[in-house]
Amino acid sequence: MFGFAATKLNEFEQGKISRRQLIETLTVAATAAGATGTASAAQSQVGVTVAGINHVSYTCPNFKQAADWYSKVFNLDQVGLKDNEVTLPFGKKGEQPYNVTAKDVPLTFIICRTRDLNAPAANGQPRPKATNVVNHMAYTVADFDAERVKAELTALGVQNIRGAGPNALHMNDAFGYDVEINGLANNALTDGA
Amino acid sequence: MERFIADLVKSFESGKIDRRQFCETVALATTVFAAGGAAQAAPARGMKMLGVNHISYACSDYRVARDWYAKVLNAKIHNDKGMGRANLALGGPEPGKGGAFIITRNFGANEKPAQAVVDHICYTVSNWDDTRVNNALKAAGANPTGRKGSVNVYDPNGYQVQIASIEGENPFK
Repeated sequence: MFGFAATKLNEFEQGKISRRQLIETLTVAATAAGATGTASAAQSQVGVTVAGINHVSYTCPNFKQAADWYSKVFNLDQVGLKDNEVTLPFGKKGEQPYNVTAKDVPLTFIICRTRDLNAPAANGQPRPKATNVVNHMAYTVADFDAERVKAELTALGVQNIRGAGPNALHMNDAFGYDVEINGLANNALTDGA
Repeated sequence: MERFIADLVKSFESGKIDRRQFCETVALATTVFAAGGAAQAAPARGMKMLGVNHISYACSDYRVARDWYAKVLNAKIHNDKGMGRANLALGGPEPGKGGAFIITRNFGANEKPAQAVVDHICYTVSNWDDTRVNNALKAAGANPTGRKGSVNVYDPNGYQVQIASIEGENPFK
């Protein structure tokens, strides 16, 4: 609990959280610790630690056209075809996600959809209007070599390919969405460093 | 293999490859397939996808999103130089070994709307327990709703964030 409190305090001092947030967070953590009798339990109960990206939900005017583009460019199979969506897993059934050993982490997949984004959620609740945008998605590919990949993409008819350093290329997908591809060298430590 | 061949035929019909290239490629693919390397034969064109590299998340104040994802997803902040963007390394493989990250950034001057939108991202949690996940999200200030093995929350910008187990969301269910 000491370390957790120190972290939160630092965040408060740096202006990352408000006073009210500091109080609320520490109250919840302390309450949880009291309930379980351990401080470490409190830390583990604040937020979740993700094991990877499960899926990317991609909505566009023609899901089949989008799916065909991603299948062609990234060699992805299409499974689970429905009236308005199809799933593109990043591998074959039974394969593990790259460098993941836990057996309960599925392959990442893209769901290409055509649907009304203003419709209520499945539980009937209205969806808030998002004020942000995911303005591009970046995917890691094996053996990334910018020149070779650029030549391949050009041969595939991919539009608006443009370089972004030795470990990245951007392009437009079938609906003008910005897609980036990277090698493993582009990661949280190197991007923007 | 079937799709690979179909693509090859399409390339041949459109004149992108000639007859000799077509035959050589089929022969090579057959040899590799017979040797048990069908998966390696497929990416003769295109690329082998390893996973998501990053999610570029643009908003009016990157710090608000940064702090939310750091708190709710326990993501580690990197390369925040106070210049309008930060990287958030997610759990899973380490950076450089396939680990994915979110870039929260302020809106740029050249944001161009596309006809498509990534309307939500779903994250996998290992060792799933419905009660534990719901309580952990509530403790982080989120308001989870959902079903067994899958919950949804909204971030400070009203963006949908799904969190699921392998039973809740997998591509082959």
